[in-house]
Amino acid sequence: MAELVVRPDERFIQEVLANGGADLKKCYQCATCSTVCALSEEDRTFPRRQMLLAQWGLKDLVLSDPALWLCHSCGDCTEQCPRGARPGDVLGALRQQAIQYFAWPKFVARWVNNARAVWTLFLLPVLLFAGLGLWGPETVSEQMEFANEYPVPVLEALFFSVSGLAVLAFAVGLGRFVKALRVQGATAPILPNLVPAIGEIFAHRRFQKCQAEPFRYPGHLLAFWGFLGLGFVGTVIGIGTMGGWLHTPLPLSHPLKVLANLSAAVALVGASILLANRLRNQQLRQRTTYFDWLLVWLLAGAVLTGLLSELLRLAQLKVMYGVYFIHLVLVFALLAYAPYSKLAHAVYRTVALAATRRGTRGGP
Amino acid sequence: MPEGLGVYICSGCGIGEAVDTQALANSARSKAVSVQLHPYLCGPEGRKLIENDLAATNGGPKVNRVVIAACSPRFKTDVFRYPGVVVERVNLREHVAWAQKAGDEDTLAMARDYLAIGIVKAQKALVPAPQKAEISKKILVVGGGLAGLTAALEAARAGYEVLLVEKEAQLGGFLAKTRKRLTFQPPYEQLADGGLGDKIQQVLYHPRIKVLVAARIRRISGQPGQFDVEVETPEGRVSDRIGAIVLATGWKPYDASKLGHLGYGSSPDVITNVQLEQMAANGGVRRPSNNQPPRDVVFIQCAGSRDPQHLPYCSSVCCLVTLKQIQYVREASPEARVYVIYKDMRAPAQYERLYRRLQDHPLNFFAKGEVTGVEPNGNGKLRVRVENSLLGPTAVIEADLVVLATGMVPNSADGPAIRALRDAMIAAEKAESEAQRFEAIRRVEELRHHEGTEILNLDYRQGPDLPVLRHGFPDSHFICFPYETRRTAIYAAGTVRAPMEGVRAEEDAAGAAMKAIQAVEMAVRGEAVHPRSGDISVPEFALQRCTQCKRCTEECPFGALNEDEKGTPLYQMFRCRRCGICMGACPERIINFPDYSVDMIASAIKAIEVPDSFQEDKFRLLVFMCENDAYPALDIVGYQRMAYSPFVRVIPVRCLGSVNMVWVREAMNCGIDGVLMVGCKYGENYQCHYATGSELANTRLANMREALQRMQIEPERLRLVQLSIDEYHKLPQVLNEFAEYVAQLGMNPMREFL
Repeated sequence: MAELVVRPDERFIQEVLANGGADLKKCYQCATCSTVCALSEEDRTFPRRQMLLAQWGLKDLVLSDPALWLCHSCGDCTEQCPRGARPGDVLGALRQQAIQYFAWPKFVARWVNNARAVWTLFLLPVLLFAGLGLWGPETVSEQMEFANEYPVPVLEALFFSVSGLAVLAFAVGLGRFVKALRVQGATAPILPNLVPAIGEIFAHRRFQKCQAEPFRYPGHLLAFWGFLGLGFVGTVIGIGTMGGWLHTPLPLSHPLKVLANLSAAVALVGASILLANRLRNQQLRQRTTYFDWLLVWLLAGAVLTGLLSELLRLAQLKVMYGVYFIHLVLVFALLAYAPYSKLAHAVYRTVALAATRRGTRGGP
Repeated sequence: MPEGLGVYICSGCGIGEAVDTQALANSARSKAVSVQLHPYLCGPEGRKLIENDLAATNGGPKVNRVVIAACSPRFKTDVFRYPGVVVERVNLREHVAWAQKAGDEDTLAMARDYLAIGIVKAQKALVPAPQKAEISKKILVVGGGLAGLTAALEAARAGYEVLLVEKEAQLGGFLAKTRKRLTFQPPYEQLADGGLGDKIQQVLYHPRIKVLVAARIRRISGQPGQFDVEVETPEGRVSDRIGAIVLATGWKPYDASKLGHLGYGSSPDVITNVQLEQMAANGGVRRPSNNQPPRDVVFIQCAGSRDPQHLPYCSSVCCLVTLKQIQYVREASPEARVYVIYKDMRAPAQYERLYRRLQDHPLNFFAKGEVTGVEPNGNGKLRVRVENSLLGPTAVIEADLVVLATGMVPNSADGPAIRALRDAMIAAEKAESEAQRFEAIRRVEELRHHEGTEILNLDYRQGPDLPVLRHGFPDSHFICFPYETRRTAIYAAGTVRAPMEGVRAEEDAAGAAMKAIQAVEMAVRGEAVHPRSGDISVPEFALQRCTQCKRCTEECPFGALNEDEKGTPLYQMFRCRRCGICMGACPERIINFPDYSVDMIASAIKAIEVPDSFQEDKFRLLVFMCENDAYPALDIVGYQRMAYSPFVRVIPVRCLGSVNMVWVREAMNCGIDGVLMVGCKYGENYQCHYATGSELANTRLANMREALQRMQIEPERLRLVQLSIDEYHKLPQVLNEFAEYVAQLGMNPMREFL
């Protein structure tokens, strides 16, 4: 194997220290984390090695390490660390760095993850939907319907294009990621391994191993399935309305509507558990950064405003248009910024799991 | 009837239930003028019995020798203390009542034998007369570094005169030349300014401290309390009489020229931590090759340390020194990247906080790994190759300064080796045959590196300096007694004793100074220092029968015996620890203590009643037990009510080394079926309180086995077992196994002739 020439990247170290990994340098390599981690395997250098690489500022090496994506932030290591180096938090910070590192275009990633620029994130969707609502084509019907303000063909076309851009960004990012994984020695074929990897994710098997944090498993499981259901329903309805064989609003008894409402309820419960957990556990096991908050609030906000708009529509109150406007802004942000926000972990993790199946997870 | 012997038997603490004390008393009546029984001998009433007899107030005969058959002599020492009277304690409680079957005939036989042994010992003992002499209480401190300065100040503050001798022209040693020093002050993360200015001033102006710089010790003759020291200084010779010595000669850095594998010598930019310290103290850290501040600095920890090829031990300070020196690098070059490659970072005690603070800097990089090569890369930098690290199989750091964290080597001299060199030189000159000359010259070459290394120049038969132990450290008893060396009243302190940093060296120096003071004060009273603290008995040498065999002068672990030209021992009582190893060594049996003699123990052995040859299933096993560890261990066995063979007869000895083989022969002649010696562990990690006693005993016992074979007695009847006190639980098994083994051999054939 080629020798590694050590060239510490000071800016990277500062980035990690400033974004969730403030205790990185405290690690003194005792390997307590590797011993307590339920996911660390026999050679037991995870997450100890990742801590070392990050301490040394070996950016390329650590960010393309698929092992980063093994960690599910259960907090066992952070709780047991005798030095207070909070490996769980550091790994979270490293994943954020990895998402930014592989993201395309990079300036968007920097912008999305800049806490001070948070309001500008919403500027585009606000202008877009405000313009659409105020000056876009309007129809009148007996009942108040969202389509009156936001015609379905316009809305769906908009969201499909945003999603398309996100998919493109993901594709470029993933291309870079896979290339880096291959250099690191994660050589498992990805496509055939996606099925078992996704199976594992669906069952949340690794989450179950968390000991320090028993609520993360149900919280994340519910949120995951809830949003998966919403994503599915949204896509089907979008295609259906564009194809003309579905007409919104669907009646409450429609199977898709039932699934949508059920998913929203499940997602809301899951997101609430996760939120409560983060608020409760700030110091002990999990510190929450802007990167984390952004995703959690976007998700929770989108579900909440979605449910609220539905209720207001059923009640035929005019305020429903305002709430729906917020809902659209949040969903837009969620989709458009997905490749740069924490939501991207779903994609990177799946690929990392696939690429490291049967062995080579630890890099060189 | 021997005049003046009183026997006092206690039946308390279960003794009365275990043995028939009345029968025991009857067995003693013929040998004593007074035999008394009491159920509670250590109480006021019991003590009154003894005191009345001693004072002869009850009209009876006057008692001046006392045998107290009660608990272990390790208990109630203050209760049964009768100065000027021979007191012999018989251990009926721990060794009989608490360990043997109550009411059994074998138990009674054991008690009777122990009492008989006690009576013989009391009859044969003399009360030692206190030996007084004129004693100097002045303390000589050798070495004027931090430890030496501290030892001098501590002794002087305690009221003692001090002579401080330093070989350099200035006081202060290594630490006086440093830029910064480690401190042990909260918050434990900062450094103090280097130098020892304050301490040096205090020493120079202390009225009780006399300082000699640029000085060499030419000779130290005599003994503790009466050492005559001659010091050579630029101003001439200085002679003084001193009482005790603190050796604080410090350390020297490990020879970096042996570290070629770490790049030393391949580039001026590979330096040692000592060189870095000098550089920092004289301006600041620069790359030697271009005098610029370095950008990438690699510290290689354990450079030559914890390495069997070099220094096998950890010097315990190099990690801390590196933590200190990283700050020098940062002063010179704030943006420098500093890499530390370690085997283990060791920052003991609160120094952990210093480590933490330095870890926090984003540009300080620490990793466990092994440096496998340092070489110039051709464009002015150094390639440092790191393997076995989590960075990757092979990582390369391109450095412009490499610092080798080298360890400490004690500034000591190996006295016995110097003596051996001198002997070999004489032998080479006086050799009678070519072969002898050849061998002597070979030996001289082998020892040549000791030439001129003398520090103390002691006038001791065994060599002019302290014997050194592992790795050249003169500390003799690192387990139990810090500062001790194998020379009485000479104590080692600071880095010559063990690698340590300044704070610990100061503690060390204070400890050694206190030991030195203790030594002179005990000399004033004519008492031995530890382990027989307070003992005033001294051995007497019946020199008219001495054959000049030199065994005593060679085997004394403390070099207490000098020799005249013929080889006759010249005893120096203040060097002596009263262990009796000379007594055990002497084939002529001419070395004896008033209260512990060859004849006394031989007679005690004869007092053991050996069953006649018709009682084939009854054996008698004599066990010599070291009174320091093995004997107390057997007390614990009793205390825990662990049972063992009733055929055992224990005789405590000062050290297994004091066992004269005549005793073993006597035991065999008396029909004793086996002799067991239980003493301290020997070898590299020895625990013998007299350093070499149990090992010597083992050698002598091996010789004795050969002698037994010639007598047609199975040599396996002799055994030596090493035991430390924490292994007391093994003791019953040791005794029982030996008893079973001897039972298989059958009874001693000598029993036929009794």
